[in-house]
Amino acid sequence: MKKNERNLVPPGLSYIADNIGSRDNILGLPVEARAKWAEGIEFSRDKSTIFFAGCGYQYSSMLEPLVTLVRTADRMSIDPDLPVVLAGIPKKMGVDVAGIYTKVLAHGDGGDSGVLRDAVGVLKYLGISVGYLGVEEPCCGAPLYHMGLRREFAVNAGKTVDRFRSHGVRKIVSIVPSCTHALRTLFAPAVPGYDIEVRHFIEEVADKIRPGQFRYPHNVKVAYHDPCQLGRYMGLIEQPRRILRAVENVELTEPEWTSGEWSTCCGGGGGFEVVFPDMSQMLAEGRIRELADTGADVIATQCPGCLMQLKSGLKALKKDKIEVIDLATLLARSMNTK
Amino acid sequence: MSISKDYRKELRNAAGSGRIRLALSRAIKSYRVNTDNALKRFPHTVKMAEEVRLIKEASIQQMAELARKAGRSIEENKGKSHFARTAGDALRIIGDIVGNKSLVVKAKSMTAEEIRLREHLEEAGNEVYETDLGEFIIQKLGQRPMHILSPAIHVPREDVAELFTQITGSKQQPDIDKLVATARELLREKFFKADVGISSANVVSADTGTLFMIENEGNIRLATGAPPVHIALVGLEKLVPTLEEAFKVAEVTWRYANYSVPSYVSLVSGPSKTGDIEKVTTYGVHGPREFHVIFLDDGRTQLAKDPVLRQALYCLRCGGCLYECPVFGLTAGYFGDKYFAGIGAVWAAEVTRNMEKASSMAYTCLTCGRCKVRCPMKIDVPEMILALRKSIAEP
Repeated sequence: MKKNERNLVPPGLSYIADNIGSRDNILGLPVEARAKWAEGIEFSRDKSTIFFAGCGYQYSSMLEPLVTLVRTADRMSIDPDLPVVLAGIPKKMGVDVAGIYTKVLAHGDGGDSGVLRDAVGVLKYLGISVGYLGVEEPCCGAPLYHMGLRREFAVNAGKTVDRFRSHGVRKIVSIVPSCTHALRTLFAPAVPGYDIEVRHFIEEVADKIRPGQFRYPHNVKVAYHDPCQLGRYMGLIEQPRRILRAVENVELTEPEWTSGEWSTCCGGGGGFEVVFPDMSQMLAEGRIRELADTGADVIATQCPGCLMQLKSGLKALKKDKIEVIDLATLLARSMNTK
Repeated sequence: MSISKDYRKELRNAAGSGRIRLALSRAIKSYRVNTDNALKRFPHTVKMAEEVRLIKEASIQQMAELARKAGRSIEENKGKSHFARTAGDALRIIGDIVGNKSLVVKAKSMTAEEIRLREHLEEAGNEVYETDLGEFIIQKLGQRPMHILSPAIHVPREDVAELFTQITGSKQQPDIDKLVATARELLREKFFKADVGISSANVVSADTGTLFMIENEGNIRLATGAPPVHIALVGLEKLVPTLEEAFKVAEVTWRYANYSVPSYVSLVSGPSKTGDIEKVTTYGVHGPREFHVIFLDDGRTQLAKDPVLRQALYCLRCGGCLYECPVFGLTAGYFGDKYFAGIGAVWAAEVTRNMEKASSMAYTCLTCGRCKVRCPMKIDVPEMILALRKSIAEP
């Protein structure tokens, strides 16, 4: 579809759509920037079961400053559409977008990409063997679907499935909730004959975990934040709780009214954070208040978007005694290997 | 540009003030507690809601037929039935009945809000009073409603006191009891002097032509009982085949609207009549002599054809979803057009046809899906929003 036909789609979202089409990732990063997080990790050569990393965790070190930028623009009452912001505002605000890109290219990880390393480590620890497509990993294109571009989504899904098939992929262990939902629910109607099994990381872990395998380094009170797509869309509500209950030294705590299927959105749903950055921040702070009221030391979740939002909320509210981490990181810290 | 600048500004101002957030956070808390208690006291409601979903699904498929049937029933009951294909038709029909220089008392009605009925009647030279307290406050403030059941949810008592001071010309204290007494005093004589009473209905049974009106204040009883003429404006989606089904719809509606039991449910099927003198039927005893029902289509038949978006017609307007919507919690009705939040985007696109607003609202929805968890009809708002975005992005 031509760009001008999308004139009713907010430009910030359209920008992401173009990147998926042209560069196979939501930020339009060149191929050299991809799969850096996995350097040094040994994956199974058998690609019949693969780990699917997705964009969110992998590029979080880029996403965070960009969203901060958009939020600042919004507060300054500048039209907060991403391309506009990227074009002119950063220089005026003294933010170096090119520098951020370079940094990501140089270091590969940073941000929350460590979560991916943690997740693969946990899978290995539990004896779950996975391959990885590396720079060949395609983009699921979920944002296209969420912004209404279903034809582009279907075209991308077809290409993605071809890539999977060319590597002989039969099963995917995915970790980003929106990728997981797209791969397992949205692909089948879009791609004829699609029959790849898609499981989320926490399903694999919940099936394998046994008492005594994980012990957090010290006693902690943990509140779990259900990502919308994991909890309400895919019904994975019991699994993360079963996992947390199996970790020694962890005491699970839940906010009144707003946990499980009633969990409050972090404010980053469906691209909301780039369309209404300021309100998105308010929602993040509101959710932190609900979770912090439980008296938790640690807020655990399992979504790169939620992670970014909740950290941002935490920072604004100066709740520096609380830590927001991914469930995979919590588990990696608790492996009884040391 | 899909998010209109004015809308963005309105949302930002609403969210930024913090006042709506405070009012809503209190309302959300009490809504959750009240509904929880109502469902604990009447646990059969959950199962009944599933039954009502099936009733609505079947009814939406045959709205035109149900309207004809209900129309025949109402005529048999000696009422008058009208069919309005568009909002304009409805305004013309009601305008003709009301005329000008009439005194009109109005119950709160989303359908009337949808077609801007009050404004239309006022422009024609009638004096119109909203009689629901919240709606009365909103009318006098010259604002638009911010919640479907509690239109003045964002107005604190101090502001009401100031408003009533202006209206009455005497100093009013920000004491809720006293403010309610003032409203009662202001409106009491209007009910009895009014030429016409206007209402809507929560559900209508086609077999008997009976309108169900759920309320707590008692204003609907007075507005539909005291004046000599009663006009009811009813969207086609409110029709169900039988009285028995209508009772189920009504009970589920009020329970999810956080009332264990509402103070009043009025059932009206025709004009007031007597045969007490020589068995000669005479109309207009203590209640209205004339009873008019206007069934409004205005895009509903078209909407019913869409396999995804038709879910919007299953809505009972209990308002539960609004309390669960995180964006609504910041902005109240500013995240809305005539109807609010995610489901409101569908009504804006398909019924009031405000496409600019509809597309702005479609991209305001978080698609988080908590509204669906609350909804007694399990309306899949994220699914509808994504379908709507598709029709916006790929026309």
